[in-house]
Parts: sequence; C-alpha cells; structure tokens
Amino acid sequence: MITVQTEQLEVAASMSEQPTPEAHMPQLYEFVEPIPGFPDEREFALAPIDPDGVLYSLRSLRTPELRFVVMPPAAFFPDYSPAVDESDLASLGTLDDLDLQLLVIVTVQDGIADATANLLAPIVLAPAHATALQLVLADPQLPLRAPLLATAS
Amino acid sequence: MLILTRRVGESIIVGDDVTVTVFEVRGDAVRIGVEAPRSIQVHRQEVYEELRRANEQASSPTESAIEQLRGALRPSEPGTPGAAVKRAAPGEASDTQDAAGE
Repeated sequence: MITVQTEQLEVAASMSEQPTPEAHMPQLYEFVEPIPGFPDEREFALAPIDPDGVLYSLRSLRTPELRFVVMPPAAFFPDYSPAVDESDLASLGTLDDLDLQLLVIVTVQDGIADATANLLAPIVLAPAHATALQLVLADPQLPLRAPLLATAS
Repeated sequence: MLILTRRVGESIIVGDDVTVTVFEVRGDAVRIGVEAPRSIQVHRQEVYEELRRANEQASSPTESAIEQLRGALRPSEPGTPGAAVKRAAPGEASDTQDAAGE
C-alpha cells in the first residue's frame, strides 16, 4: 500500500557537508529506476563542473552526450530539507541515513537568470551502494521549477 | 481498454502482484489504494508527465549555458552586496510564479 509513513528520514542533512576531496573524482551510479523520460539510461557518472563543488554533471555512460546539471541544494535552497519516506528508498540498498546524499536537477537555458531547480523530484544517491533514484516527494507544494534566483532580471 | 465496475472495498489485480483497491467514492473523486512491489513506481499520471517533461528540458544543456551559470556563481556568494541576488525559498517559488522583480 502506498501511504505516507510517520517514520521518516532526513536526507538533506548529509548534504550540508562540503563534498570531500574524493567527490572530485567521477563516481559511477546505477539508477535503480530509470529517470522519467529516459527509460534506457541506467548508469551515470557524477563529476564536479566547478572546483567549488556547487555544480556537478551527471553524464550517461550509455549515451555520453546526455547529461544533467545537478547540485547539492544547500547553496541556493538552505531551507530545503524534505522529509523522505524511508520505504521509498529501500530499492537503493541497505540504508544508513548517513550514506545518503541529495542532489537537485538544474535546468538552464541561457544562464543563471533563467535557471531552475527541481525540488519536487530530487535525486537521492547512496554512495555506499553506488545506487541512485529520482524520488518524487509527497509534498505537492514543492516546485518542479524553482528559480535559483528569486529576483530574475 | 478494459473497463470494469467496482464497488468500494473491491479491487482489481494487474499482473501477479499489483492490486488496485477502491477505498472511497465522493462525488467525482475516488480514493484508490495501490499495492505494488517496490520495483514498480506508482505516480499520479499528470505528475509523472510533468516530471518527464522537466527532465527532458533539463537534459544536456549547452556548454555556453553551463559556462554562464558557472560564471555567475564564481565571483561572489549569492546575496553579497551588489549581486542583487536573493535566494529562492522552497515553497514560495513555483513554476507559475512571476519571477520578474522590479
């Protein structure tokens, strides 16, 4: 039964830490469910785009020209700390909440003024298992396209 | 399309391991319970379609767009004087919001 559980897991806390030096190496992740819209892409390499650890690329191994820009949400959305239903994460493998990392997908057409982040469906990573999942959160108030800048020009 | 009539409390089974149960009917709204293995994701269709579109839109941005984004992030922290940057808070921003300030 798909119901909201009272037992919940805070994922974002582990992402408030700065990426460790190892995070600057590309890391391979297998999506336990395909990202909606990309049913045939399962394996992605996560690598930093900038040296400060703000932006990362998530590039498909099967289709190297396919990539997403992702980022830890803390830099732009410090209050974003979604409650995650633990049972939704079971497919990632044996869970230790300290293992989990949360990233949001950034959509950018021209530059930062039009850049948005998907807060409704973040990507949850379990580095210990090298597994990942795009999770649709239960809170319908969360935006699919949250502007990075509240005041766009 | 297979069309079935069910009463409250009755179910249908899809394949071997997906059960859909009608819980409540109130006016034109129906509450439905879905029992499925973890390997099967269950979404409201409109949410799934929107997410699929958003993912496709987010995929493979141009190098120049990424470079501009990097450039905007590099010189200073968001929120520093002169940057005219205010962080969006989750919940207050939505895709229907008019983001253009004065």
